[in-house]
Amino acid sequence: MRSFLPAVAEQLFGDIQQTYHDTSQIPDDLLIALKFVFGSCALLALDLVDQRSVICLSSPSGRQAFQVLGSSGRLYTCFLSCHFCPCPAFSYTVLRRTKGLLCKHILAVYLSQTMALTLQETVSDQQMSVLLSGTGAL
Amino acid sequence: MTDVLSLVFRTFVSQTKPQKEPAVRPPSAASSSVLLVGDRGVSSSLLLLAAVTAASEMGIRVAFFTQTQIQSLPETLRRCKTTFFYPRTLDQLLLHVASLHESPTPPALIVVDRLESFLRDPAEQSSAAHVSALLCDTASFLTQVLEKRGSGSAPCRIIASYLSEADANKDSEDLSVTDPVLDVLDRYFQVRCTLDRDRGYEAAAAAVQEVWHVYLSGRGIAEASSNKDWEEKHRAAQEWKLLILPDGVIEFNSV
Repeated sequence: MRSFLPAVAEQLFGDIQQTYHDTSQIPDDLLIALKFVFGSCALLALDLVDQRSVICLSSPSGRQAFQVLGSSGRLYTCFLSCHFCPCPAFSYTVLRRTKGLLCKHILAVYLSQTMALTLQETVSDQQMSVLLSGTGAL
Repeated sequence: MTDVLSLVFRTFVSQTKPQKEPAVRPPSAASSSVLLVGDRGVSSSLLLLAAVTAASEMGIRVAFFTQTQIQSLPETLRRCKTTFFYPRTLDQLLLHVASLHESPTPPALIVVDRLESFLRDPAEQSSAAHVSALLCDTASFLTQVLEKRGSGSAPCRIIASYLSEADANKDSEDLSVTDPVLDVLDRYFQVRCTLDRDRGYEAAAAAVQEVWHVYLSGRGIAEASSNKDWEEKHRAAQEWKLLILPDGVIEFNSV
């Protein structure tokens, strides 16, 4: 994902990627840093990653998007190159109150990519268009 | 997108007044999305000019989204690679934009006229964020496609216009600084192009119908100007004057 994140977050993901690649674990100091930077959604995002809830969808045209299975069982479609999530937390905490950088779903995407735990799935071009638009069948 | 706007200003520059030599900004990812804020009529005209210029001067394919059916198209647009879409609702707009990746000939310029007409009233921030993010993500993908094809049209640019109902009834200088939808749009669009009407005596003195100030601002401009030599040389390129002559012709003057 092209970065809309502050440099400290980029650095943190780089450290997590290196450490996880070497040890298959995230040490306490990086977990604390994650919580410091992202707040309460850090642990919730890690739960989603543990549950393998992040899927990268691809279609024949090459278009890609992420889907995250939320704790409520709902699927949230997030974009590759910029931050958007249709969940209430993104709408309220990030957009309206500008209190958070991300919601847990977008953070789960970052972490899942960093730790190479993203599942891969293929859909048709038409299915991808419907998913990206968030409209379902019109 | 500022490269297209710069070319519009240069192409339609006033011939009656000496101009500073304006430069066409090189296209860059930092300035490839522009939000036009200001009078709806002038914004729509500027969007159409941008589409005509991009298609005819730059030879790039344009996708133009508007709710209002255009009754008659200029010959230039009918001959050029511009496709008009007339979505009636936000869902239709989202689906059209989301489907652009399916096209065998993707556009290098996406234009959305009057974003506010697609957003529910009162406009929701989430809807504004969704359509903006989809536009940006689509442009990012199409840029990769265009670069892979070596077409020379990359990057894929976006330009959209927006004016809230509340601000439509105000003077430009009174435009709300706390419009929550505009705050959301500013997250995704790197450059804001503000149209501000000049209500001084210049319009009357110059025998033109209307004079508008055109300002380019935002993080896309700041990043492009981070090189000091560039900033000093092209500072004036961030502000223009748009003149609407009595016969409806539009001209630009550099400031």
